[in-house]
Amino acid sequence: MTVSQRQGGGVQKDPQGGLAEVLDLILDKGLVIDAFVKVSLVGIEILTIDARIVVASVDTYLRFAEATNRLDLHAKGGKDLGQVVGGMTEGATQGGAKGKTKGVLDAGKEKWDEVRGERQSAKRER
Amino acid sequence: MSAETTESTEETQPENIGSYVYGILRSGQRIPEGLEPVPPGSEDAEHGLGLVSAGPIAAVVSDISTDRPLGKREDLLAHERVLNAIAAETPILPMRFGAVVSDDDAVREELLDPHQDYFARALDEIADYVEFSLRGDYEQDVVLGRIVEENPAIQDLRERIRGVDEDASYYDRIKLGEAISQAVDTLRENDANAVLDALERYARATVVKEVGGENGAVHVAFLVRRDHRTDFERAVDDLGDAWSGRVDLRLLGPTACFDFLPEYEAPDEEGG
Repeated sequence: MTVSQRQGGGVQKDPQGGLAEVLDLILDKGLVIDAFVKVSLVGIEILTIDARIVVASVDTYLRFAEATNRLDLHAKGGKDLGQVVGGMTEGATQGGAKGKTKGVLDAGKEKWDEVRGERQSAKRER
Repeated sequence: MSAETTESTEETQPENIGSYVYGILRSGQRIPEGLEPVPPGSEDAEHGLGLVSAGPIAAVVSDISTDRPLGKREDLLAHERVLNAIAAETPILPMRFGAVVSDDDAVREELLDPHQDYFARALDEIADYVEFSLRGDYEQDVVLGRIVEENPAIQDLRERIRGVDEDASYYDRIKLGEAISQAVDTLRENDANAVLDALERYARATVVKEVGGENGAVHVAFLVRRDHRTDFERAVDDLGDAWSGRVDLRLLGPTACFDFLPEYEAPDEEGG
């Protein structure tokens, strides 16, 4: 049983496999004894937890959505959830506008800063 | 607790002990040393694997208490390990988990004798082959990142949800998730095809299976000739290199040919 192993392939070689891998093969595949033996068949109770059900459900969708949002946070330099939730109303306008319209907004913001700056300096002068 | 001693030194099994059947091989084969059977669950049971032979074929069996349910982790793993260890060395037809017959005589008389032709033929067919299962999981961040990048509709949905309170964005989040789920499905289809393109030539047969879990990428079973194994595994490594960082591949095997058993058609009458 020599298995040719090569480092670097990054493929995990496993002659046995974990329970999840095993379930798929030995519970669903293989010769069924009932097809061959009728009289001497011993019906033993088989306990199996069907851990294999995969349902493309709303839950899955929501988890995908969440994962994508997390992705965004990572990319934006790890802004944490507290900040996002904390500045919710603010975030809605700010966040929603990010992206395509970012340039326009930035220009607007600069303008606003300018105006505010003028006022402030005006204030100070008083 | 009160262990009744059976008077006979012959190998008659006690009443509540049946024969657990792992699989069928050609007679005259040795079972590899050191394999643990499915735990018998009774002190009356003989511990260890044995062979019941009938002409050209034999069944791998062990004693098992007929009083206990089967399906614990160690039961499942023992079944698989016994079969795979044998399959690595000699062809074996695996039984589905949980095959129990009243005793060894019944194994011979009801399982082996009447179906000898089928078993012998099936063993001939898989004689030179082993099965491998290739499974892959997506690196979620990498894959989702690419999906978002390539999909303007998904980008729009994300913009709409960003910063909006959970309840208010509920339906948009479902829409986003659904769109991603569909994109992942398309990706899976493409990746399954890529796996076949890369590896099919080393296999006599393949089965593309449903992947499990959100991050499941591919799951393909291969029937590989024993002497093509090295080439096959090298090609798997190459694919692993090419997909490195995006898909995490695992190769399970060699296993018994669970997915490639020749069809059994019950004969109308016992063939002689």
